[in-house]
Amino acid sequence: MPFRLNQPRPFFLAPLFLAAVVVPTMLAFVYFAFLASDIYVSEARFVVRSPAKVAATSLGQMLSGSGLGGASEESNAVVEYLESRSALDDANRDGLLSQAYTAGDIFLLDRFGGLLPPNQERFFDYYLDKVELEPDPTTQVLHLRVSAFGPQDSQRIAERLLERSEDLVNRLSGRARADALQVAESDAREAQERARAAAVELANYRSRTGIIDPEKEAIARLESIARLEDEMISARSQLDQLRQFTPQAPQIPYLQSQVETLNREIERRRSGVAGRRGSLSSAGARYQVLQLDSELAAKQLAAAMVSLRDAQAEARGKRAYVERIAPPSLPDYPIRPRRIGGVLAVFVLGLLAWGILTVLLAGVREHREG
Amino acid sequence: MAPPVSPPSSIPPGSWRVQGRVLKALLLREMLTRYGRHNIGFLWLFVEPMLFTLGVAALWTAAEAYHGSDLPIVAFALTGYSSVLLWRNMPGRCIGALWSNLSLLYHRNIRVLDIYVARVLLEFGGATISFAGLSLLFIAIGSIDPPRNILEVVGGWLLIAWIGAAVAIFLGALSHESELVDKLWHPASYLIFPLSGAAFLVDALPPVAREYVLYIPMVHGTEIVREGFFGTRITAHYDLGYVVPFCLVLTLLALMTTRRVARRVVPE
Repeated sequence: MPFRLNQPRPFFLAPLFLAAVVVPTMLAFVYFAFLASDIYVSEARFVVRSPAKVAATSLGQMLSGSGLGGASEESNAVVEYLESRSALDDANRDGLLSQAYTAGDIFLLDRFGGLLPPNQERFFDYYLDKVELEPDPTTQVLHLRVSAFGPQDSQRIAERLLERSEDLVNRLSGRARADALQVAESDAREAQERARAAAVELANYRSRTGIIDPEKEAIARLESIARLEDEMISARSQLDQLRQFTPQAPQIPYLQSQVETLNREIERRRSGVAGRRGSLSSAGARYQVLQLDSELAAKQLAAAMVSLRDAQAEARGKRAYVERIAPPSLPDYPIRPRRIGGVLAVFVLGLLAWGILTVLLAGVREHREG
Repeated sequence: MAPPVSPPSSIPPGSWRVQGRVLKALLLREMLTRYGRHNIGFLWLFVEPMLFTLGVAALWTAAEAYHGSDLPIVAFALTGYSSVLLWRNMPGRCIGALWSNLSLLYHRNIRVLDIYVARVLLEFGGATISFAGLSLLFIAIGSIDPPRNILEVVGGWLLIAWIGAAVAIFLGALSHESELVDKLWHPASYLIFPLSGAAFLVDALPPVAREYVLYIPMVHGTEIVREGFFGTRITAHYDLGYVVPFCLVLTLLALMTTRRVARRVVPE
């Protein structure tokens, strides 16, 4: 029956349709329905707080480019760290990850090292595939999602990664604090040393010269000189009067010797205050230098102490830390793979490819020789 | 007696050969009618986009345009503007292509789709030679580094070409039915140009804007080309799970529209 032979096949039996739609959909169905291993996703939410940063108002955020500079240094560091090889190494120190991802009951295609021989680089790629870190740009909350083939595994890995991030943030902020404090402390120590040295110098000087304070001593001496001068003036005026009115008075030689003694004494004392070497005025110069030194050192010490206290206060404020908003969850149902959705996606994409190929090939077919 | 009807899923022998010959002939004809044999002739095919790209690179260098990264501006302009030329010239050439080629349809073996495909291939060739040539030139004189991953550049480039071709054939076929397409495409292409990722890196945008920009399919291709070019110096944002289905749907639409037009077209 030639008519039957020429009857076009129904389109769903055409080789093109089979190749583009039926076979891929069947494969996807077999994979998703029977082979693909359940994937449990543990999710944690946390925020890296660094109180040094002034909380931006929503208007301020908008003006600064709506979160362009939003995330803090520390939270960027956490993102970078969790997507690095060292995070994988740290978390896998006791083989937690390699055990979770290479277990024999995981389907060959899903398992690490199932098809390709395992090595560090592939494991890192595989790890990046299983760990998702998503910063929420507006709230600055970091979402960490870890996929694994067992609910406990995924939770434990997420917990481990979170702990490592906390360590990292602590290390970073501890370092920043220690640096700031160290400078302030060494400054203060230096100032203390200098103040002590100046005080010792001054004390030595005092014990060596036997002078507590040259200036006060000079004043005291000048006062005594003034008193002596008063005395001398009264003695001299008495002497003058006696000489004028009773030249033969027997007190005259006595008064004369008194005036002379006073004169000598005044002269001696005056030279002790100023002029000669070892006088109070020459000692005063040295004393003043020492005095100035010790005053300066004291002032410096006070300033250093103030800045040390500031640094301590700032360091307290600089403490960045990881705050858990939601600890890693324990998934009770494998949300991946999306089995029905996966099959549907393959089917729809296959249909699209089939449609395109059909039209294109029909176009080619319209070209005939002869 | 009725002529033997071959089952629709089999292709008569020689059809591929004829298809190839037709495309080759159309390509040659297109080059000759467009550029002629004067001056440097068909070399204009890629010298023209080269001049465009050079001009833009020079302008951007002079203006030290802000592009949100510390990449060399020449490399940035080269990857960005070449990609724009690729997807923008294809629709530009295909819109209205049928009207000027109606007489060709008297030939039994020249089909409507062939005209579009020939023009798309021509534009693809021109833009590709221009991009590759300029890259080689700049690499040779040392003003940019060679691409980190050539295969990735090629992949991104092909993806942009796919988007461009699908848009071109779709709009080309539509334009045969309505003149509005021609009028609307020009403003649309100018609007998409700044949004297509040619002048910025998606990573430099605020996170809120990234999401919306990535709805434009060309952005993904440009990002892939850039990632291939610059490697880890930039963070590329693209999603093949969005672009590929997008292209598939658009291609199917384009081919179906073309078939519809082919059935209704009247050769002059």
